[in-house]
Amino acid sequence: MSVDPQRLWALIRKEFIELRRDRRTLAMIIAIPLLWLLVFGYAASFDVKHVQVELVGHDSTALREELARAGNAFSVRRGVAADVAAARADLRAGRVTAAIIVGPGGAPAGALVDGSNLLVAQTALRDVEGLRTGGGGPRLSITVLYNPSLTSAYFMVPGLVGLIMAFIGIVITSLGIVRERERGTLEQLMVTPITRLELMLGKMIPYLAIAFLDMAIIVGAGLVLFRVPLRGSPALLLALAALFLISTLGIGLLVSTVSQNQQQAMQLAVLILLPQVLLSGWIFPLASIPPAIRWISYIFPLTYFIPIVRGIFLKGLGLPDLWVPTVVLLVMAVAIITLAASRVSKQLA
Amino acid sequence: MSGGPIAARGLVKRFGRREALGGVDLEVPRGALWGVVGADGAGKTTLLRCIAGLYRPDAGDVAPGVAGQRLIGFAPQGFHLYGDLTVEENLVFFGGLYGIERHALDERIDELLAFAELAGHRSRMAGELSGGMQQKLVLACALVHTPPILLLDEPTTGVDPVSRREFWRLVEHLHSGGATILLASAYLDEIERCEHVVFLHAGRVIASGEPDELRGRHRSLEAAFLEAM
Repeated sequence: MSVDPQRLWALIRKEFIELRRDRRTLAMIIAIPLLWLLVFGYAASFDVKHVQVELVGHDSTALREELARAGNAFSVRRGVAADVAAARADLRAGRVTAAIIVGPGGAPAGALVDGSNLLVAQTALRDVEGLRTGGGGPRLSITVLYNPSLTSAYFMVPGLVGLIMAFIGIVITSLGIVRERERGTLEQLMVTPITRLELMLGKMIPYLAIAFLDMAIIVGAGLVLFRVPLRGSPALLLALAALFLISTLGIGLLVSTVSQNQQQAMQLAVLILLPQVLLSGWIFPLASIPPAIRWISYIFPLTYFIPIVRGIFLKGLGLPDLWVPTVVLLVMAVAIITLAASRVSKQLA
Repeated sequence: MSGGPIAARGLVKRFGRREALGGVDLEVPRGALWGVVGADGAGKTTLLRCIAGLYRPDAGDVAPGVAGQRLIGFAPQGFHLYGDLTVEENLVFFGGLYGIERHALDERIDELLAFAELAGHRSRMAGELSGGMQQKLVLACALVHTPPILLLDEPTTGVDPVSRREFWRLVEHLHSGGATILLASAYLDEIERCEHVVFLHAGRVIASGEPDELRGRHRSLEAAFLEAM
């Protein structure tokens, strides 16, 4: 099989000309490696650099100093939790990751660790255990809450619910309107009495249904195969998942309206989805992401849904505990849908 | 805008710096069959899209436009239906968008399939039909809500001569039934079938009249068109 240099050059040259004229693809080719470099180099870190801890019962300057020396991740909360019940409430609400019960003499007498975030919990546990052995006193009794055996599936599966819903919402929906445009059917639709809202809802509702079906499969598999406990209300999970989905479907539609063809839509959708996988707190704790990059995390709805889904699954949290991420998701859903609606036009030009 | 059911006055449409239509005037009387002919890039599609309300004019007026979209049956250039739906499913879909009640829609679909001679193909995937049959399906979908106005954008481009003749039989049948039709085409031989022809060149009407009138002293409409350019 021979290679004719002239023919080969003709083909290579043509590819470069096309690439140079397809500015969006060119931008993606340059932007994606840069994004990966930033995310993997700086943000995607297994090193937990911040574990919020509180003292329970009594304050102890010596213990505070020891904690500061014991683990470079510890940040000791000001003030003291009155009793174990108050400490449990703080752990449940996610205000702290570990609580050290202090005896009347100022020595540690026991500890509680929030096991819902695996990486943070492992770091906290290691450092608290180090504190016990380093202290030289009696052995500390450490209780790991919500995920006592620190099972990976408890950590991964609830987050996966959010991730898969984000995938369907953004990647699959992003093809919706652009596919109509690409095959010319958008023109046909626009001369019918269909309204912008109907067009948007018609594109969103089928994927909403599919996403819920997927969610049911993942939740079912999580409960049966991986024995992940669902301690909270399934109805609340469903309601907040719907809110999350509306915002992700809106992002998908938005991508669809700004893309010229399905290839562009897919590239843009992946560009939006990838940072969410790494920066939403699903795997890497938000506190481990440098603040210079962490702000990107707060743009994405998944960052707010992860604590919701984990909270409902593992901690049995209710709406009063989850109102902050819920309100943020609500605001995001309204803003994204409004923006997407403004982009869906009944006219071509 | 008063006048005929299809009208344009001083219609201007620009895309960036390029002027696609530079002040087009036309008025199609009720029940008439008019043809717009011009070379590629003359502005035929832009004119029909403005009239259908798909493009917002930069200046001038059009009818029916957005406000009268319910009155329009629009068949865009090429096959732009759902190839992965059957013939019947495409018709049901468009009928549903016009809010036609299911029983009435079933009757209408039977009528349209008989009219377009597609009754034997109702369960076939639209994407698997021949080019001529696809164009007939596009026409059937445009007619599903029984519109009084039809806008047909180069409906026979790429269609074989036999299918073109069949297509024109359908158009003439609709015309005799009272529909007001504006048809764009690049084929001068078939545009002669219209009652009135508009020559469009570089976004401007360069001549307009009955085919015999336009032909004048020339041997053919094509010769008259080329001279007018």
